[in-house]
Amino acid sequence: MSISLSHLTKHYAKTHAVQDVSAEIKHGSLTAVLGPSGSGKSTLLKLISGLEKPDEGTVTIDGEDMTHVDPRHRDIGFCFQHYAPFRHMNVAKNVAFGLKVRKRPKKEIDARVSELLALVKLEGKAKSFPAQLSGGERQRMALARALAIEPRVLLLDEPFGALDAVVRAELRHWLKELHGQLHVTTVLVTHDQQEAMEVADQLIVMRAGRVVQSGNPLALYESPATDFVHEFLGPSTIFEGEVTRPHDLELVSVHQGQVKGRITSIVSLGFEAQVTVELSDGTSTWVQLSRNELSAMGLRVALLVGVRRREDIDA
Amino acid sequence: MTNTSKWTLRVVVMSYLGVLIGLPVTFLVVKAFGHGFGAFWSEVTQRDALDALKLSLEVAAIAVPVNALVGVGAALLIARHDFVGKRVLDTVFDVPIAISPIIIGIALVLAYSRIGWFGAPLARWGINVLFTPLGIVLATMSVSLPYVLRSILPVLLEVGDDQEQAARTLGAGRFRIFFQVTLPSIRWAVLYGVTLTIARTLGEFGAVLVVSGNITGVTQTLPIYIFDSWDQRFDVLGSYSGALVLALISIGVLGILAALKRREKKLLVDFA
Amino acid sequence: MPTDSLVKPAPPKTHSSPARKGWRRVGSRLSLPFLMGGGGVLIVGYLSIIVLLPIAALISHGLSISVATHGSGWAFWHWHVSFGFKTFWSAVTAVGSRNSIWLSLWLSFGVAAINAVMGVAIAWVLVRDRFFGRGFIDSVIDLPFALPTIVAGVVLLAIYGPNSPIHVDLFETWMGLMLALLFVTLPFSVRAVQPVLASLDLESEAAARTLGAGGARIFFSVVMPSLWPSVLSGFGLAFARAVGEFGSISLIAGGIGRTTTASYYIYNLTAGFLWVDAAAVSTALLVISLVVLVTTNVVSRRYQSRLL
Repeated sequence: MSISLSHLTKHYAKTHAVQDVSAEIKHGSLTAVLGPSGSGKSTLLKLISGLEKPDEGTVTIDGEDMTHVDPRHRDIGFCFQHYAPFRHMNVAKNVAFGLKVRKRPKKEIDARVSELLALVKLEGKAKSFPAQLSGGERQRMALARALAIEPRVLLLDEPFGALDAVVRAELRHWLKELHGQLHVTTVLVTHDQQEAMEVADQLIVMRAGRVVQSGNPLALYESPATDFVHEFLGPSTIFEGEVTRPHDLELVSVHQGQVKGRITSIVSLGFEAQVTVELSDGTSTWVQLSRNELSAMGLRVALLVGVRRREDIDA
Repeated sequence: MTNTSKWTLRVVVMSYLGVLIGLPVTFLVVKAFGHGFGAFWSEVTQRDALDALKLSLEVAAIAVPVNALVGVGAALLIARHDFVGKRVLDTVFDVPIAISPIIIGIALVLAYSRIGWFGAPLARWGINVLFTPLGIVLATMSVSLPYVLRSILPVLLEVGDDQEQAARTLGAGRFRIFFQVTLPSIRWAVLYGVTLTIARTLGEFGAVLVVSGNITGVTQTLPIYIFDSWDQRFDVLGSYSGALVLALISIGVLGILAALKRREKKLLVDFA
Repeated sequence: MPTDSLVKPAPPKTHSSPARKGWRRVGSRLSLPFLMGGGGVLIVGYLSIIVLLPIAALISHGLSISVATHGSGWAFWHWHVSFGFKTFWSAVTAVGSRNSIWLSLWLSFGVAAINAVMGVAIAWVLVRDRFFGRGFIDSVIDLPFALPTIVAGVVLLAIYGPNSPIHVDLFETWMGLMLALLFVTLPFSVRAVQPVLASLDLESEAAARTLGAGGARIFFSVVMPSLWPSVLSGFGLAFARAVGEFGSISLIAGGIGRTTTASYYIYNLTAGFLWVDAAAVSTALLVISLVVLVTTNVVSRRYQSRLL
């Protein structure tokens, strides 16, 4: 089910939460809306779900104008940032809620619930209450609850925001797999570029209520439209007055590089090393090297080196 | 929520509050001034009324400071120390709220009057509780006991003892810590509790009625004067006038409470 | 005002760190375990005088417990304790007593139930609705609490008594009593629910909406289950208050048998100097209030423990 957003605008009191946002979200895609906090990405998600009404613009799902349809009739699955579990219901009842609202026969509900609990790997927890689950389990329960109604669109608000690093990485991987199985059109909101790059096949980058750039993650990484996108999507540094990726720079002997400088710090992060160089013009830049490169060149602090772009070699 | 259900709910709530609170209070004012302001004024300035007001204020002047000190002390003890019987101490403070003021009055009589447990020894020392101002003070202290503690305790627990510990590492003694660290952080809560205590002491009726014996000019507080005017002397206007005076005090109290709550959102009385 | 009244936050543990010499050391060794500090002794003494001893005296008179010593000295093996249960029972089961207790019970139950419903409605309007004068309404809720009960009685008679300006005379009727009790217990019911409602997670309701639930279903299957514990404690507090209430109904009851509540009956006994009978009925009333408070407390806590 494709989603089409056209000139969406939403004001709160005096702030423009979302301003003239248009975007196309393809059927079956996994789209990440990426932006710093306050960029309006969560509001955009609420506008798609109908939990907020736009001041201007339209939301079309699968060719149907949904702008004025109440969220309860939109057939969307929404996973909230803090999962919004129904605390007084056990896991099975949480998952069954949407089906009960739809007055499905009890047998069908039971079958569907156990199917979903198997899908999200919570088979043994059907009778547990949300208070007894871990963060990751609650997240999966929320997902099963949203999927139960066979939504046309799945919306996830900062789905991994409240989890610790290990669980986060696991769930990300799992979500990607799940999407591969179900092919439900999914929009997720995140402020974490790594998460977005890893999970999504489409990116919408937002800033201050507006869409800055959208498209394929790799394309955005390679050819960012603005310095903001450049800096937001990956590591960046400034070299010769331009924003550039630190792994697109290399260190050479002091005679080879056009730009010369002195190493001021070396930070080793396992496989990767970050070398900061103070250049002769007084500015400072940093270069990303592999551990092997670092040791092969015998780099140390205070050494004089040359800096140049890697593509210079091909040129 | 749809507009219809929103308005239905508003109308239901407003009508309920109107019937229960709004109309009666309005008509109290109407009735008290029913014979003009002059009649009202001569009612509230007649000797018995003034005597009753004076006694009420005197009782409050004793009961409020004592209960404030006890409340602050007990709150500090409960929030900052561990000891055997802490829960019991905490619960005892709620007893006067949980039980009928009439029962509190009877309990005091059965403990301290001539027919009570300690009546004989007390009488030997010339202390009599039944039908005396002393009994009124005791009854008032009892019913207004919990309010300061219940106002301070939540705030004290919320603030935690980090600042006090910090002050201690900086070499402050216990009095300096109390007056310069603890007290400033609970001052609005103390004021809130004291205001409630004042309201309760000025208004207490049941417990005082039982122990006072209702002797005009001697053991008649303002609430009892109001009751007496209606029930015994059929002086309805006097009753309305006295009630209006106390009602105005209550409204002043409400204003103070609202202002304090605006200053500090967490103020509340945590009844058990 | 009461929050989730029956559930108190666990006080944070105090640290007894090895501190400087001086008061703290003395404090941690002595006053902490046994409440031995001078202030503590004063407080316990005060509480004993104004609460504990009187209540003990009341119950002992009520149950006609008498302690006699035989032989010499105060040692407890010389004590002879006797209960006068018969006196207690005949005082409590006297016709007037039974009728008044029954009247108090059903009135209080009805009042607590009505205000439980209205308390949720009022709290909802105060928390979720936005309109001009909301702050004023919020303060007005406390008026019955700040108003002396006798004034509440006079205030209600001013409009619902004889010579009622709107021709509704509830003097000496059970409806008059009920109105007075609704008035004085209102703040308890509202303030028990209000903070809990304000702290509810709006996301759960939004989630229910995206799952297709309508307003009524969201309210009854998502909101109310979270409110039950506080509604229940509000009910318990209102009930206990209504059972013991005297001032506000003392005028509107008028003193006839039909409208004599338990507290009024007890007061009448004291006016006739029947202190022992008064103590007996008081003890019965205490037990009833205690049972209701403890029950609502336990049920509400048990329910709540599952949610956290």
